[in-house]
Amino acid sequence: MLSWPEKREVIGQATLRVDAPAKVTGAARYSSDVQPEGWLYGMIYRSRWPAAKVTAINIEKAKQIPGIKAVVVERDGERTVRFYGEELAAVAGTSKQACLDALLVIEVEATPLPFVVKEETAKNPNSSRVWPDAANLSDPNVREKGDVDKAFAAAAAVVEGFFTTPTQLHQPLETHGNTVSVTYDGVTCWASTQGIFSVRDGLADYLEVPHEKVRVITDHMGGGFGSKFGPGAEGGLAGRLSKAAGAPVKIMLTRFDQSLAVGNRPSSFQQIKLGADADGKMVAFEMDSFGTAGIGAGASSAGGGGGAGFPAPYIYVVPNIRVKQSSVAINAGQSRAFRAPGHPIASFGMESIVDALAVKLKMDPVELRLKNDPNKIRQREYAIGIERFGWKQKYKPPGSSPGPIKVGVGCAGATWGGGGRGSEAEVRINPDGSVEVRCGTQDLGTGTRTLVAVVAAEVFGLKPEQITAKIGDTQFPPSGGSGGSSTAPSVCPAIFVACTNALQDLQKQSGMADARGSNWAAACRKLGVNPLTSHGKWQEGLSSSGAGGVQFAEVEVDTETGFVKVRKILCVQDCGLIVDKLTCETQINGGVIMGLGYALYEERVMDATTGVVLNPNFETYKVPNFADVPEIEVILVDMPERGVIGVGEPATIPTAGAIANAVANAIGVRVNSLPITPARVLAALGKVGKVGAA
Amino acid sequence: MKSFQYVSPRTVDGAVSLAANQGRFLAGGIDILGEMKDYIASPQLLVNVKDLPATREITSGKESWTIGANVTISEIEQHAELKRVFPGLQQAAAEVGSPQIRNVATVGGNLAQHSRCWYYRHRDIHCLKKGGDTCYAHDGENKYHSLFSGNPCISPVVSNLAIALAALDAKAIVRHGKEEVALSIADLYAKAWDNPEAHNSLVPTDLVLRVQIPDGGRRSAYQQVSEKASFDWALVSCAAAAKVDGTKLSKVRVVLGAVAPIPWQVQAAHDFLEGKKLDDDVAAHAAEMILKDAVPREHNGYKVPIAQALIRRTLKQLIG
Repeated sequence: MLSWPEKREVIGQATLRVDAPAKVTGAARYSSDVQPEGWLYGMIYRSRWPAAKVTAINIEKAKQIPGIKAVVVERDGERTVRFYGEELAAVAGTSKQACLDALLVIEVEATPLPFVVKEETAKNPNSSRVWPDAANLSDPNVREKGDVDKAFAAAAAVVEGFFTTPTQLHQPLETHGNTVSVTYDGVTCWASTQGIFSVRDGLADYLEVPHEKVRVITDHMGGGFGSKFGPGAEGGLAGRLSKAAGAPVKIMLTRFDQSLAVGNRPSSFQQIKLGADADGKMVAFEMDSFGTAGIGAGASSAGGGGGAGFPAPYIYVVPNIRVKQSSVAINAGQSRAFRAPGHPIASFGMESIVDALAVKLKMDPVELRLKNDPNKIRQREYAIGIERFGWKQKYKPPGSSPGPIKVGVGCAGATWGGGGRGSEAEVRINPDGSVEVRCGTQDLGTGTRTLVAVVAAEVFGLKPEQITAKIGDTQFPPSGGSGGSSTAPSVCPAIFVACTNALQDLQKQSGMADARGSNWAAACRKLGVNPLTSHGKWQEGLSSSGAGGVQFAEVEVDTETGFVKVRKILCVQDCGLIVDKLTCETQINGGVIMGLGYALYEERVMDATTGVVLNPNFETYKVPNFADVPEIEVILVDMPERGVIGVGEPATIPTAGAIANAVANAIGVRVNSLPITPARVLAALGKVGKVGAA
Repeated sequence: MKSFQYVSPRTVDGAVSLAANQGRFLAGGIDILGEMKDYIASPQLLVNVKDLPATREITSGKESWTIGANVTISEIEQHAELKRVFPGLQQAAAEVGSPQIRNVATVGGNLAQHSRCWYYRHRDIHCLKKGGDTCYAHDGENKYHSLFSGNPCISPVVSNLAIALAALDAKAIVRHGKEEVALSIADLYAKAWDNPEAHNSLVPTDLVLRVQIPDGGRRSAYQQVSEKASFDWALVSCAAAAKVDGTKLSKVRVVLGAVAPIPWQVQAAHDFLEGKKLDDDVAAHAAEMILKDAVPREHNGYKVPIAQALIRRTLKQLIG
């Protein structure tokens, strides 16, 4: 069995992204930049009703608009739409304006139906139903262990709280979309995706062609965060339009569309009770929660795939627990997997109640965590973090800092399974010494090309820039989707195995015992005319799963205006063998910034009366700007003995919990709902509704 | 967006007569293009006013400063003399949008911009402000809405410059019909107080040409609180101006933004502050007077303590 080299020259160094020059100069071609010969614009006509019976869709006038080449209805016959923004038809034309004009003349006959878009209303048995045959509120998923009631009765300290988290939108900077070209020979799709093979299979099934007839290409894409695995309705419609028009069709969603129909992180409403003995050992935990995954609710969707369930009591070991979790359906777009599905929700609620317990016990919050979180890696990370952050100097009793602008600190922990397998790779070594490594993975924006180059360079004794990493094409050897922190642990071993095989082949063919480094050019010349091609597959032992991670936050809160400023986030993170320190750290930066948005700014706002999303734009769906981003310090705990583990998810999990705890520590009261806006801070401080109070 | 025609007149007369026929003025385009893309407005003709003569200058006269309507927000932000004479105006400009927006957005456009209410801006909601029957914000999602209104629409004025200029007793010189009229900032927005469909007092053919700010030797200050640190609308903004003698204030103006369809000022508070030595109690009392008649809705009551804090802080900034 292969293992990673003991002594590593390239792996673990801070290697600049191999495609950085292309990205900063604009040469990198993103999926939305693709413009094949004769391409057409495509746009989608969406439901303007949150719920309605649609009896007819008339597209004849749209077909007459000058420049329009094809119009299709999403499905024939009568249908019920269940959220504002559901896809009903699509148009393709030679200009954006032609498509816009065509959308305006599509006529839909529909009878509006009752709808509900607020979770608390929808769970009421008298509420209108999203699905006629099922109550909106699912039967709870119940887990019970030990004797909870007895344990609470005997507990020395019991705390309770009701915590809520909003529906969060993925908001990748490149919206969802594809350019699809359907010809007699087959289908080519330039996709903004995190899974080229899942797009291939989805599109092939939708268009009813064999999988091998579809080629999906993703050179560069602008983020997905779990919402871009399949072709989506927009991909299928682009395919049908292309077939009808006989030309490639590009549908990239608008930011408005993006907010309606391509996924979100479910909301949560969590009633939590936690008890501990006098030493701070947790003895009892009880949770009753619900949340919405949009129209796609129900207990069957609970779990990791974007449903409304989430782990509890998360990373803590409590002997007596009772957990009841339900999903509630509302007339809104369905959730999809979102960076660490379930975990940021779980972390915020649990880490909040743990801090409340620490306050009640008058115990240091880190100490309380160390007592109840047995994970050895996190224990080590807390120890590192305490020192680096200066926790013991900074942690003061809640609300004790002087003046109207108060300072506070908080912490939280994370866990993520991750792990990946199944990738294959091909290496081609040319007689001139150039190397091409091919793998059908894709770069979600995290630097996958660079990891490929780093691993290959390590094996060959070369520099990463000497490797041409080719990814993002289903004609390359297969690999999985980039999700669940699985890309690095799936891809890196395959590259390592393929390159190791290639090196052996090269040494055999060239007759040189060591073809690496300074011998490379001479060995390659001995290949003669034909390049050497070798393959490799992911192998057990080079990667593993299970990352921890802890974060510390320092904030200042203006108690007169409610404004929260995060001063610093310290992240202490393990992810096994670090392949590229730089991409690893930047991925953590991104996770922390996303967690910051979840903590302070982001929330999809639904309107009860009209059923629409009120903030389908970056004006009022607020994501962090650079001015909001604090100092982020990353300490990587390198554990090469564990092999490669992904880091995409764990980095975003504990940020919101740590910030919420820091806010509570600053002002002495908890804000139990995300996002922590000035309105909520002032309400928690009891300052709202008292006109004239200072 | 629907197709439209575009004209670029060279004279104010030309611009006004062109706008009379289903036209809308276009300067920086930040507001009108957004409305067109969202189908809030679909003018048949866009009348470019950027090339109109004498609208891009910042000049100082004996008793007043004049800022042309086509001066960009970033030109105000970066103008060293303006920053010295009217720091409140410079601070208000610096808080507008992002650098990219400030580089193209103009003074005229900032003053004449329309409501940012998310019901008004939604393409499929026909609200009271668009001529419908209902203000959905009234009993709906109103966290960004007004504490005061003279009509059922509770969408607030969001122009930063209007708030600062009101505190400075500026006048907007507006081409109205065949004549130029000088409107106080209060007059410029008065119609929005009791007319739900109005964003300001201007009719479609009224064109803001410039603003005039009296240089009365007053100090000024502007502060706002937003949810984000930058590139975000004010939840509440506050501008203040006064003559300052030690801690003694005179000719005081305190104006709030984002709490009413008009820049919100309370004469009684101005009278109270006149000649007072500013201390914490005086500032707090003025803040109470200004917020006295606030009518918080379900989700916007938090604006009251923010407004009070901003009034106290902005007044203190004057003497600081």
